[in-house]
Amino acid sequence: MAIVRTLGLTKKYGSNVAVDHLNLEVQEGEILGILGPNGAGKTSILLMLSTIIKPTEGTAQVGGFDIRKNPYETRELIGIAFQEPKLFWVNTPWEILTWHAKVCGVKNPKQAVETMLKKLDLWDARKKFAHELSGGMKKRVEVAKVLIQRPKIAIVDEPTAQIDIGGKFQIWNMIRGLRDEGSTIILATNELSEADRLSDRVAIMYRGRLLVCDTPRNLKDSIPGGDVIDIRFGAPVEDKTMAELKGIAGIVNMALVKTTHMRIYLNRAEKMLPKIMDVLSNLGVEISSINMKEPSLDDVFLHYTGAVLEESQATPSAPSS
Amino acid sequence: MSKLLLVVERDLRSLVQNKSILLMRWFFVVVQIGIFGLAVSRIIVVMQDYFYYYAMGVMVMTMYSVAIFTGYEIYDEADEGFVEYLLSLPITRRELVIGRSLAGGLRSFIFMAPIIAGFLIFIGVFDPFKVLAALAALYGFAFGVSGLSITLAVGLKSGDRFDIIMGALDAFIVRLSSALYPQAFMPGPIAVLSKFNPLTYATDLFRWSLNFDMKYLADPVVALIVVVLFLMTFNFTGVIIYERSLEGGTWR
Repeated sequence: MAIVRTLGLTKKYGSNVAVDHLNLEVQEGEILGILGPNGAGKTSILLMLSTIIKPTEGTAQVGGFDIRKNPYETRELIGIAFQEPKLFWVNTPWEILTWHAKVCGVKNPKQAVETMLKKLDLWDARKKFAHELSGGMKKRVEVAKVLIQRPKIAIVDEPTAQIDIGGKFQIWNMIRGLRDEGSTIILATNELSEADRLSDRVAIMYRGRLLVCDTPRNLKDSIPGGDVIDIRFGAPVEDKTMAELKGIAGIVNMALVKTTHMRIYLNRAEKMLPKIMDVLSNLGVEISSINMKEPSLDDVFLHYTGAVLEESQATPSAPSS
Repeated sequence: MSKLLLVVERDLRSLVQNKSILLMRWFFVVVQIGIFGLAVSRIIVVMQDYFYYYAMGVMVMTMYSVAIFTGYEIYDEADEGFVEYLLSLPITRRELVIGRSLAGGLRSFIFMAPIIAGFLIFIGVFDPFKVLAALAALYGFAFGVSGLSITLAVGLKSGDRFDIIMGALDAFIVRLSSALYPQAFMPGPIAVLSKFNPLTYATDLFRWSLNFDMKYLADPVVALIVVVLFLMTFNFTGVIIYERSLEGGTWR
């Protein structure tokens, strides 16, 4: 069941179209990753869903409430961890989180804050002013707001930016935990591995437009010949072997990298490999090694946009979200 | 705790966190009244008790300048993106504006409380009704000024423009009021303009509740009505502007 549904959601800043007629559904209990480079419109979508900014056109329904007509009711369902931590410099993590917990109606706010600060290794820094915290600590305080609040719909905007690898795993696990406890998560990120690891479905945004939305597996499979199997042989590959392999339905392309090294492009490599092995075994061919590689979300992004995600981050014409 | 009170609580904390600024401002007010006020009152012979008149005016003016601080804080918060955080919370815009205005008024009140208390003891006013009336006049005015400050800050959406307008407003609102001199001694056009100035009525209401000579003051009933209208107008406008301007996203 869709808990969030955007209907032609559009945001313009002057002549700059940050979000262009977005139609997207978020299913209850899923983690939806919104993936795209800077300027793709991710943050604008999140700010509209949180009723912080108003759409220029279209609307969205959040938990049955229209974001234009029922902004307060919408905010009661939503918790957001911003991309840039929103911590007022004269406050400490303890004050920031305790106040946030009280405003969001968390039961036993002090207990909840203490537990979270300890979980996120922020307990020793609880009395420091926000301006004294490192970038990573500020980010953890920001994410802690949503983790304490446990909203029905949690929005997290690049939750692990500036956080070290150990901290990333910790936060990823906590986001999954939040989902497991019943929250729906909308995750905006430009980190491919983050989207891939966390998301049940990924929506790829580019220049304000939704290009595609599906599970990571289906997205990868949507690239014709996206999976690659590298096979190294004990002897040069014979024409007969090539011909037999070409006859297997589902193989998109084949190439000889060296006389003893063949590359096969296909989909669902894990399902196709046994068939390939059967053919090679029947031919009595000696195999030295087999390597299987599935496409990354970067390949998916390249397939749909014609650009590599890393390069498109720097594209000056991309609208600012 | 109601969300309105949580908004008030948060803003009150920020007053306590600026202890050095508090001490400096107290020092300034005490010096202004204690040195400048005493010296000037010796020069002015046409008006009896000018020292008390001046001291009461400075207190209300100081409350004005502390209450106006809410607007500057909104700019600080906008710079740090904190406004977006506040807007994302399950708090109505009305609660946010009214809460911040109430807190702005309370902050100026708390800030001035030791000085006012000392002054009341100094002039020997112990009648609880009069003390309450004086405090209500001060608080009502400070509450309205906070609303005005929020309205201007959110309406202008530019720290520079806000600075310029507040500077100009500060210059005119003080000089075109009876804060430092009674209307009876003002040149004709200035006296007329001062009749449209809420600071005139707030200071005169404060003086009236502390038994100052009525011949120098505006009618207390009119003063009370003006102060109430002032606080209601700017808090109501603040709510409207907060809803329209901030949710419109043009702040960004």
